[in-house]
Amino acid sequence: MQLKKKNFIVGLLIVLSGCLVYFFTVNDAFLYKQPIMRITHVKNNKTVNIVDEFKNHDQQTGQLITGEILNGNSKGEKFKVHNTYTRSRGMDQKFQVKQQVFVNIYQKGNRKTISISHYKRDTYLLMLCWLTLVLLFIVMRSNGLRSIISVILNFILFLIVVQLDVMWNITSFFWIYAISAILFTALTLLLVIGWNKQCLVTFVAIFFGTAVALMITVAAMWLTGDKGMHYEALDFATQAPKQLFLSASVIGLLGTVMDAATDIVSTLFELKRSQPKVSFKQLFDSGRQVGKKIMGPLINVLLLIFFAETFTLAILYFRTGNSFAYTFEWTMSLGLVQTLISGIGITLVIPSASLLAAAALRGSNE
Amino acid sequence: MTTMTLLTCILAFLMFITSGRSGVYSFISLVINFVLLFITIVLIAGGIPAIGVSFFSGICILAITIYMGNSGETETDIAFLATVLVMGIMLVLIIPVEHLAQVQGFSNEDSEEIEAFNLAIGVNFESIIISTIVLSTLGAIAEAAIAVSSGMQEIIEQKPTIELNDLRKSGRNIGHQIMGMTFNTLFFGMFGGNLALFILLYKLQATFGYYLNSKVFVSETMLVLYASIAVIMIIWTTSELMVHRLAKQRKKNSK
Repeated sequence: MQLKKKNFIVGLLIVLSGCLVYFFTVNDAFLYKQPIMRITHVKNNKTVNIVDEFKNHDQQTGQLITGEILNGNSKGEKFKVHNTYTRSRGMDQKFQVKQQVFVNIYQKGNRKTISISHYKRDTYLLMLCWLTLVLLFIVMRSNGLRSIISVILNFILFLIVVQLDVMWNITSFFWIYAISAILFTALTLLLVIGWNKQCLVTFVAIFFGTAVALMITVAAMWLTGDKGMHYEALDFATQAPKQLFLSASVIGLLGTVMDAATDIVSTLFELKRSQPKVSFKQLFDSGRQVGKKIMGPLINVLLLIFFAETFTLAILYFRTGNSFAYTFEWTMSLGLVQTLISGIGITLVIPSASLLAAAALRGSNE
Repeated sequence: MTTMTLLTCILAFLMFITSGRSGVYSFISLVINFVLLFITIVLIAGGIPAIGVSFFSGICILAITIYMGNSGETETDIAFLATVLVMGIMLVLIIPVEHLAQVQGFSNEDSEEIEAFNLAIGVNFESIIISTIVLSTLGAIAEAAIAVSSGMQEIIEQKPTIELNDLRKSGRNIGHQIMGMTFNTLFFGMFGGNLALFILLYKLQATFGYYLNSKVFVSETMLVLYASIAVIMIIWTTSELMVHRLAKQRKKNSK
């Protein structure tokens, strides 16, 4: 009875917090400096069929949007603005009543005009954050919240590192990311595992796996003279593309290697805990057994992440008359190379993590 | 020889020497998955509905990832079943949220790369981004499902008389450590891939408010969040199914 009551109160608190997040983010315009307009009226014009030179059929519709500014100096003022959207919505959007958009206001003499800058999405982002936290709490209680803290701290550290990179603006900025990778590892392991032998063993295995995988990659690039590597295809590149690619690879690689190493080491420690008399060989074999099972899936995780992210761009290439080979080279090859690098890191970390953990656990018996 | 070919050879070689035959199977499964993904893109570009194609290729990729390189034991069946269940639930969440958040297609930051293109190409970018999300979370949850189920199986094998509650506890224990790491894998995988974007956003001196609302940042972050939600659900589902199976097995044996 006591437990039921407690669960009821927790459930109520969760629902209430959700409502609170929703109402807050819908009405948070006063927090933004950029003017926000709430759409009050939308008038759709006639839809026009359009065809491009590759025989792609699409439809274009114009909208006349009326809305009211919610914040800043122009609060309460009403504006009208035109918007066009296509059926495919590649870069445009169909607006509806009650949606909120960021706008820019221009003063021309006595008249003010506006243009739509971007859509207000914070409600959805924060609601999803809320949902994640709630699920984490329900399944794992406070333990789960600790693992999300490591991600948040890593994210903050990541932003600081990016800031340092931009501020220092040094030629070999790769080292900034390489050193920060070591920090990321240490921080994550300390938070997820805690300061103990397990943490140390995992750290050494990760360091070994990442460093050797990277050396192999650099050697391979040097041997083949970077043939087929279109670093210039890297999106948003504002710095030396090859170094940027390597930095991104280190960070991507780190995640999977960390994952593989912790899976193996934590299973072995768990095994030792439930069965203290297990031998070195048994431990090592169990480690490799776990490693064998997770290797394929783990490399696939990265393959899927890197590949799926190219979907939108690759489809645009295909639909505009580019060949398979050209599309592959310019939209997918870099992501695939990142996957390969991570795969190499994983294969290296399996034996090293099994060996180190088995050795460390054997020592604890004596 | 291109760099990619050489790296592929190195990976194949390493997989073989560290894991023998199952390493070879894993490598083959990678190649098949690559081909499947490529075909998926070609089919979507050809005008076939994106969500349907991806759902189908997702199931294929999942079956290949889980069953190849793993002998078809019962714990792999459980991993497969749990993944399909969670994927179904995720679709119910993803489709409406993506429709509301409107993060499909290209963002303002992309404009340099795509200025040569006309974007009215007659495809549904919204369903393309849903496919992207489904496929990129699929890997992470399949991996977590396997890690939990094989870790628990390892414990059952080492100590066949384990109490159900202890097994559940061990499962949660493994799950907890795996989860922290899987979050980080996803985080590093996705944000590492977007390193250049973050440098650019920083150089443009984007404000915190811009981060919370811009298409490109919101879509990347939501990807990490969807994956995290899926991983939390998969850990719970897999460990419950494992415990359930052991209980059923014992009941059968005692009869």
